[in-house]
Parts: sequence; structure tokens; C-alpha cells
Amino acid sequence: MSPLHLAWRNLARNRGRTAITGAAVALSTTLLVVTFALTEGMLNQLVDSITKHLVGHVQLHAPGYRAERSLYAAIAAPGALVAAAEAEGLRAAPRTYGFGLLSHGTKSAGATFIGVDPAREKATFELWRQLAAGDFFTAERRGQVILGSRLARSLNVGVGDELVAIVQAADGSLGNELYRVGAVLRSVGESLDRGAALLLAADFDQLFLTGDVAHEIALTAPDRPLDEVTTLAAALAPDAEAKSWRQLMPAISDMLEMSRALMFLFGAIFFLAAAIGVLNTMLMATHDRVRELGVIKAIGATPLRIIVEVTTEGLLLALIATLLGGALGAALSLWLESHPLDLAAFSGSGFSFSGLVWDTLWYAKLLPSHVVAAVAPMWVASVAAALYPAVKAARLDPVKAMTHV
Amino acid sequence: MPTRTTTTVAALTLAALCAAPAAAAPSARELLDRFDDLYRGESAHGTMTMKVTTAHWTRELKIEFWSKGRERSLARILAPTKEKGTATLKVDNDMWNFLPKVDRVIKIPSSMMGDAWMGSHFTNDDLVKESRMADDFTFAISFTGARDGREVVEITCLPKPDAAVVWGKVVIELEAKSDLPLRVRYFDEDLAEARVMTFANVRAVGGRTMPTQMTIVPSDKPSESTVVTYDQIRFDLPLDDSLFSLRALQR
Repeated sequence: MSPLHLAWRNLARNRGRTAITGAAVALSTTLLVVTFALTEGMLNQLVDSITKHLVGHVQLHAPGYRAERSLYAAIAAPGALVAAAEAEGLRAAPRTYGFGLLSHGTKSAGATFIGVDPAREKATFELWRQLAAGDFFTAERRGQVILGSRLARSLNVGVGDELVAIVQAADGSLGNELYRVGAVLRSVGESLDRGAALLLAADFDQLFLTGDVAHEIALTAPDRPLDEVTTLAAALAPDAEAKSWRQLMPAISDMLEMSRALMFLFGAIFFLAAAIGVLNTMLMATHDRVRELGVIKAIGATPLRIIVEVTTEGLLLALIATLLGGALGAALSLWLESHPLDLAAFSGSGFSFSGLVWDTLWYAKLLPSHVVAAVAPMWVASVAAALYPAVKAARLDPVKAMTHV
Repeated sequence: MPTRTTTTVAALTLAALCAAPAAAAPSARELLDRFDDLYRGESAHGTMTMKVTTAHWTRELKIEFWSKGRERSLARILAPTKEKGTATLKVDNDMWNFLPKVDRVIKIPSSMMGDAWMGSHFTNDDLVKESRMADDFTFAISFTGARDGREVVEITCLPKPDAAVVWGKVVIELEAKSDLPLRVRYFDEDLAEARVMTFANVRAVGGRTMPTQMTIVPSDKPSESTVVTYDQIRFDLPLDDSLFSLRALQR
């Protein structure tokens, strides 16, 4: 009889023991897969929350713009570049930036004016969903601004109120215009909250006299690797600077990498606990059989045969259990991809930290590697757990083994 | 580090000068006060031309101005047409701009006081400041003698610890025989030179003899400048307080 056949019969004979050991391995596998998928999901959501509102995955700037934030360091005639990016399957949103003063009644505050193309912002980014009051722009509704939450509060204005904008225009003159508050943003991060005043690109041009330029073109391509998109963007715009969000926000990128490392460290600790559980169950199962193994040895089985037989049994059990556990874990993770955990009970309305806002719904994100990373070590652990008592049994004196209690 | 050396030298010089009271008249305080009052008087009214040159544009403004004491001043743009009527009112430490295009008055928040006034290299703060140099700074004559072919008196001013002053040091060079300013160098808090103001075109206007052209050059952008030329100026004429009101600003 082949070791595999023998192992199968042994497992089938001791249903109770097989069930307990198998369940331990399967459950550990399931939990590991789900933990990995939830970790991945959390990191993905953090990246999303950074990139989806305004930053994008990659940005194009005129050389030197990021250091100086000068009105004059701009990409001229950005339309062609936007069209080229869109032809490559990227989504692109051109923006203009300028600084100045907003005033309402006796209140005045410094503001960062951001000229946007509403159709492209809406197609590419989700800032327009983050409105506490009012509506997002349409290209026809000129003369409106959308304010960051804290800027609106410090100017003491709401939707419909009148604002005066005073800036130094590109020709040095004092640009000034009247606007109405079209909408107020929700809290979406420190700098936007405090200073953002969005307006139509055409209104921006009228105020700042910049002409057909963009200070920033934000690109997104959610399903493509960041490096690939950065390289593509650099190739499309050789005269501009292409930077990924990780290069634009190195501190946040580092923090994310740190939390990824931490998460997988927790995963490893969790795995260790699960492996020790499996090891323990397997050890006990083999220990139970010392007498039986003694008998087998007494009737002529070689030590090698005993080792092969016991480890095959452990491996077979692990295969079946991880198959079930992995399938269950994958199914649960896939379910959590569309049925997120709701953390509202713990944190109220979501939390924001250093410019990133995280909502309370926690989605899983399953990758095939998660299943592999959970299953393969389980096999190793199971075999290792079977090996030790097997070696011990193989070296036993059959008489002692048979009288082993 | 040159700045540190400068500081040390300046401090030593100051210490030496403070220890031995200057015998020669006029005193540093008198010179400073005279410098402070040069363009002010009880009241003043005049017109000036301000030419601003930056890397990206050049523009010239004609400005009519009124002032009364140190507390009140009003400046209104006469040209170019696009900005005609734009006006700035200053009363005590507050400042407002009137924008005829949108027909609104806006108050300049204190956070913007360090920003450029009308796109020039002057800050709003330069216009608002009403305290006397002698009150905000400890000062001493740090040099007398010939420099660049002229007899000059140099006064080095260091801010008092509690004074609301943005500069780390101000060095004023006066012409020795007339006590008129030649050059003022402003240093930032790290004692790096931030901007230099030079005075030229000394002539008699409004009953005083004074430099009628001031050029300010930011030290980090030596190709940029703001040149202010007094076209006419009259001093000590009766001006009503109501001229310096928000109502008058909008007229």
C-alpha cells in the first residue's frame, strides 16, 4: 500500500482527531487570508483617500513650480497634453493655482485659488462629492467659488453669500472680482479646509490674467502600477516634471509604507500563533499514536517508512484543511469587498489625519498572493509538526513504544 | 559665517559706542527722529510716481496721497486707467483697500501686512508702521567718515526685544553735512540683507530740501526694484479728519 493510501485510511479511521486537527488548520488559514485581505483593503483605502480627492496618482508641473509656486511657472496650452494623456487611457484634470485675499464684510482671509475644469474634475476626482452645502460647478455657472470648510467659517459665509477676491494678477495689476459662494466643502484635509477657493478655469484666468496655462495636471489610472503611470506621464510631457503622489507627499507615503510593514508584522505574529496551534494539535495527534507506531515498527516497518507515513498523513491533512480554509477565507474576503465592516460605532463619522480622510467603512481587498501566503506556511507548519513526533516514534524501541501510555 | 561676524562686530561697536557717549552733535536719536519725520510733517499732500520692475512685468502708477500725523494716510491711484480710483486708507494700525471695479472696501487682515502693497516691493506694513525708529530700536552711530567719496554718518539699529519689528537690523547711512538719508539697509531676523533703499534727487519741494526719489531693491532679486518719485508735495496744510474715513475712501 502506498504511503498516500495508508495516510488516507489512517485519517479516515480517526475521524474525530482528523476533524479537530483539520478544523484548527482550516480555521487558521481562513483567518489569515481574511486578515491579509483586510490589511490590503485598509492600505488601499488610505492610498485612495489621498489620491482620489485632488492629488491623483501622478502630477505634471512646469519645472520649478513646486518649489516656488510661482504664477509664471506654468505649463502653456495644457489642452494638448490633457488630450494626449486621455488618448493613453489616463484621466487628466488641468488646474491653475494662485494666491490672494478673499473678503466678506469686515472679514478677510488669505486663500489659494484653484481654477478647475468641472467636467474633468467630476470624471476623474471625487472632490465634487465632498460638498457640505451647495452644488458643484457647471461650466455655464460663472462667478462662483467653492470654499474649504474652515475658510468659509473664518469668512463667516455660506452658500449664496458674496465675496470679493483681490489678487496680484500676472501683469502686476490688482485683480479684483466679485463672486458668490456656490458650495462649501466638507473637511477633506488641512490645506484645502483652510485655504481652498475653487473656481472655474475661465474665472481664474479673468482674475489672474494667466491665459491658457495649467500649473498642475493631475493624472489618475487606478488599475495601473504607479511606476508605469509615472514613466508614461514623463514620456508624454518631456518638458514638465512628472511626480507620483509618493514623490509629492513623501511623508505620507513613508507613513503608509510603515503601516504596511506594521500590518504584515501583525500578520506574521498572528500566523505564528496559528502555526503553534496547528503544531500543538498535530503533536498531540501523533503522540496519541506512539503505541500504534510501535506496533507497526514491531511488525517490520523501517524507521524511514514510519517517518514518510506520518508526514504524508500530516501533509494530506494540511492540504485538505487549507483547501477548505483557503476557500472559506477567500469567499469571506470577497464578501467583505462588497460588504465592508462599519467602524462608525467606534469613531463616529470617520477620521482625518494629516490631510487624509478615512471613512468608517472598511473594505477588504483580496489578492491571490494572500491565499498563497496563508496556505503555503500552513503546509510547512503541518509537516514540521508531524515530523518531530514521527522521528521520535521511528527511533523508539518497539517494546517501549507499545507499552507507552 | 559672514552674518555672525557682522553681528558680533555690530554688537561690539554698539557696546563701545554706548559706553562712551558721542560728543559730537547731533545725537543719533536726533538723526533718527529727523529721518522719521522727513516725509511726514503735521500733514502732507502730494502726488508721486511709483515704478515697479519685476522679472515678469513693469508698471508705473501715479498716486495721490494725503497724510495727517503718523496715524492717518490715504493713497489713491490716478493712473493707469484700469486701476484708477483704487485707494488705500490707513488709520492707526488698520488698513483698507477700496476697489472701484467691484465697488467694495476690504480690510487687509493682519496676516497680510507683510505682503506687497499694490504689487510693489513695499509691504503693507511699511505704510502702516507709525512708531518711531527711536522707540523700537536700540541704536548707535556705528561709523562716521568718508565712504564712496562722501562724508557719511552710519547708524546701526537693533530691534528692542519686545518691539513689533520684522527686521533683525536696520543700517541707516546719512550724508554728514545735510543729515539727509543716502541709503538704508534692512536685514532679516537671520541678519541677512533683505532689501536696500537708496535715496536720490535731492531738491526743494514743499518748503523742504529732501531726496525726492527712493529706490527699493530686494536683495534676493537684485534685478527687481520699486522706484518712488515725489512729483509734488506740500507739508503742514490743513486736512480734515473726515478725509481719512471709510466714506471718503469710497468717493
